[in-house]
Amino acid sequence: MKNIFNKIPLLFTLFLFCVFLIFLLQDKNPAHPPSALLNKEIPRFQAEDLIKNNFIIDEKILYGKKTLINFFASWCSPCKVEHPMLIEISERHSDILLIGINHKDKKSDALNFLKIGNPYEHIAVDSEGSIAMNFGVFGLPETFITNEKGKIIFSHIGPITEKIYNEKIKNLL
Amino acid sequence: MKKLKIYSKIFIILFFFISEASAIQDTSIKKQSDEIAKMLKCMTCQNLTIYESDTEFSKQIKKEIYEQLKNGVSKNDVLEFMVQRYGEYMLLKPKLDIKNTLLWILPFVLIISSFLILLVKLRKN
Repeated sequence: MKNIFNKIPLLFTLFLFCVFLIFLLQDKNPAHPPSALLNKEIPRFQAEDLIKNNFIIDEKILYGKKTLINFFASWCSPCKVEHPMLIEISERHSDILLIGINHKDKKSDALNFLKIGNPYEHIAVDSEGSIAMNFGVFGLPETFITNEKGKIIFSHIGPITEKIYNEKIKNLL
Repeated sequence: MKKLKIYSKIFIILFFFISEASAIQDTSIKKQSDEIAKMLKCMTCQNLTIYESDTEFSKQIKKEIYEQLKNGVSKNDVLEFMVQRYGEYMLLKPKLDIKNTLLWILPFVLIISSFLILLVKLRKN
């Protein structure tokens, strides 16, 4: 009994060491902190559709389907890099809803940008950046995935590459 | 004619007071907005506050802070709005809640308790 008591400090130190090690080995990047909205309900929003005239998009259309929400703009170079991958995703996962949020962009520029292909079912116009603010967007491109209940289950800052798709997104869709 | 002159003088004085009052209010909001911006980290730059940074992200945050204060939202509520969207990581000084207090106190508790255990052991030996 006394022996066990003597080993408590050592076991406690080992436990702490393991906890620190687990945290260190996690792929955490201070420049890309996790979204504060992770595991929370999607923020409310309402915006006009970029392409469909007089069509208003709001958060209600996301319920009941897995949704990939992508913030993009024509002036954002990494968005151009990411775009072919989004087209691929829309082809591979036809059952999911893909929504684009066009951030602080000119309509004509955004439409020109989409000439290379449009992976989105709806594109919400966020000319003032208020939708991005409600989603806690850091920079473009940024992507969120919501489940059928409208809960945010994944967020990614930066372009989606084949590697990120395979490692983090594929299993969620 | 005399009446008209009096009315126009009253109008000019009133206009001057109203514009002066709104300028004072604007300065006060700007001051508060700057205070909040100094309390928030720029998430897209290194070692800069939102106040110091000139990135697109920081400009958007500064604008949002100003607009919210103008709409009568309190300083604490603006900070809470930012934390809800960008996380506690955004605060330059972390909140003084149970979790953070424990995080600060725990290392000292560990050092002191380890020292005490060592002392007891040495005495026994």
